[in-house]
Amino acid sequence: MAEINIDAKFLQCPGPIVQLFNAVKSVQSGDVIIVEATDRGFYKDVQAWCRKTGNELLSLEDGDVIVAKVKKA
Amino acid sequence: MKQKLVVIGGVASGTKTAAKAIRENPDLEITVLTEEDYISYAGCGLPYYIGNVIKEKKHLTVMNPEKFKEKDITVLLHTRAEKIIPGEKKVIAKDMVSGEVKEFPYDKLVLATGAKPIVPPIPGIELKNVFTLRTVTDAVKIRDAVEKEGIKKAVVVGGGFIGLEVAENLTLQGVKVTLVELLDQILPNFDKEIALLAEKHIKEKGVNVYTSEKAVSIEGKDGRATALVTDKRKIEADLVLLSVGVKPNTQLAADAGVELGVKGAIKVNENMETNIHDIYAVGDCAENINLVTGKPAWFPMGSTANKMGRVAALNLYPKGEKESLAGVLGTTVVKLFDINAARTGLSERDARNEGYNIVTVLVPASDRAHYYPGAKNIITKLIVDRTTHRLLGAQIIGEGVVDKPIDIAATVITLRGTVEDMAKLDLAYAPPFSSAMSTTIVAANVAQNKLLGKIDGISPLELERKLSDSQLQIIDVREEAEYVVGSIPGAKNIPLKEIKKRAAEIDRDKETIVVCKIGLRAYLGYLALKSLGVKNLKILDGGVTAWPFKLE
Repeated sequence: MAEINIDAKFLQCPGPIVQLFNAVKSVQSGDVIIVEATDRGFYKDVQAWCRKTGNELLSLEDGDVIVAKVKKA
Repeated sequence: MKQKLVVIGGVASGTKTAAKAIRENPDLEITVLTEEDYISYAGCGLPYYIGNVIKEKKHLTVMNPEKFKEKDITVLLHTRAEKIIPGEKKVIAKDMVSGEVKEFPYDKLVLATGAKPIVPPIPGIELKNVFTLRTVTDAVKIRDAVEKEGIKKAVVVGGGFIGLEVAENLTLQGVKVTLVELLDQILPNFDKEIALLAEKHIKEKGVNVYTSEKAVSIEGKDGRATALVTDKRKIEADLVLLSVGVKPNTQLAADAGVELGVKGAIKVNENMETNIHDIYAVGDCAENINLVTGKPAWFPMGSTANKMGRVAALNLYPKGEKESLAGVLGTTVVKLFDINAARTGLSERDARNEGYNIVTVLVPASDRAHYYPGAKNIITKLIVDRTTHRLLGAQIIGEGVVDKPIDIAATVITLRGTVEDMAKLDLAYAPPFSSAMSTTIVAANVAQNKLLGKIDGISPLELERKLSDSQLQIIDVREEAEYVVGSIPGAKNIPLKEIKKRAAEIDRDKETIVVCKIGLRAYLGYLALKSLGVKNLKILDGGVTAWPFKLE
């Protein structure tokens, strides 16, 4: 299983969720994507996005930099 | 013989008046009468004492009678002024401890009697653990109840500042809080979409909120409160806080023939003089002028009280021209968990009621450079006079810094500035503090675009009312990934880049609302759709970010 890191810090609009979406499209099922973001909205967005798309949110850290670990379904 | 000044009331404006008066007139003999046990206390800090943010009671009381004695000011605690006799220029007061009644002759009298909580006339208010919050004594009782009696559940009646701040502080102490508000929104001085954003946030933080709900009675067992009954439900509670508002304390003044004005507050001119010679009124017991409308208003705020105290003190024995306070804007700010909300001037509702033809904008933006760590969003609403382009009011909400931009707006309104003036202000900028295009300037620019007819917008409230209209189409121009997270109910996703390619999917005859995250891509989408021939076209003000309702 591959692990892909995405630096989506300091993106404003459209924001980190689009980076995550594009990454998920390009990897294999079971691969893990780690997104680092500073957009405050990402904390809630990534949870909603995973719930709706069926990808698994392995972990989510809050802070100045939000770190989400997502496993592609 | 020394001139005598008597001040009735010893919290903010009363002590301010006394302190300034003695600096101006060192020979003055000053007596401050207060029926309370504390003076000059931080009334606005009381919710934070309950929440143990302010640890010690002594930190709320900045001054005490001994410190005033050093300034040559006599402060008499628990001394209630019972009657004013203007004809004889004296006040009759009673020492509430000894029962002794004394006369206090005056040359000048300043009324600083404040305001008191409104207690709704419902059964059960006499029960133990039913409180109002106005004084240090109230705050001590509430904190004692929380800390010593293990309060688990509380109901706060009233969604104004005090109610909300107590709800937050109790929640942070581990108490489960339900807030009940009679109106259809919390934060009554804010417009509804801003209040709804605040409501959404405090709900996420664990506070139950019921609006449009009336407290009917308080139930108890063994003399203690156990539940609040509303017109819709029964809410269990070991503690009930009644914070439905305050009213000016003016019976004493009215009995003496002092004229009252708005909401029963004492009528004063801009020199803080009442209708009776040598009687002044300051602080929460007195009315103000609304600086925008020029009409009498009542803004019981600590910041205003201090200004009024200073003006009155300078006018007791004026040296030259009298000092005046032309009016206030009702500028306020509040912190609710992780968000801040501030307002100044007229709300949209106020402006419409006053008959102004207005334009409003709702603009989300980052409080500092978006690439600087810690940058946070705020949403700025401006209320602008369409005829003169003058800024009439502003409201700001968000996790970021709101007090700076609201103070800028207050300054612009005070100086009768237009949005054009506002858009060209030379404001401080470096990434840790602001953006190269500060939120204030961006909002002013959006307002200019609307005034020039470059763009037309629809407010979230208006769109929400229209959602079921079949003649309406909503186009979300964000990327698919963002749309999936949540969009306006019924919105169709056509990303900005695909508008031209997918033009056939757009009904040119329908009223069309363009939506994005904050409004920028919607603006570009608006221009693209316009060139495709869509006529009835608007962008959603504030985008998905400022949408206070459910996303789908």
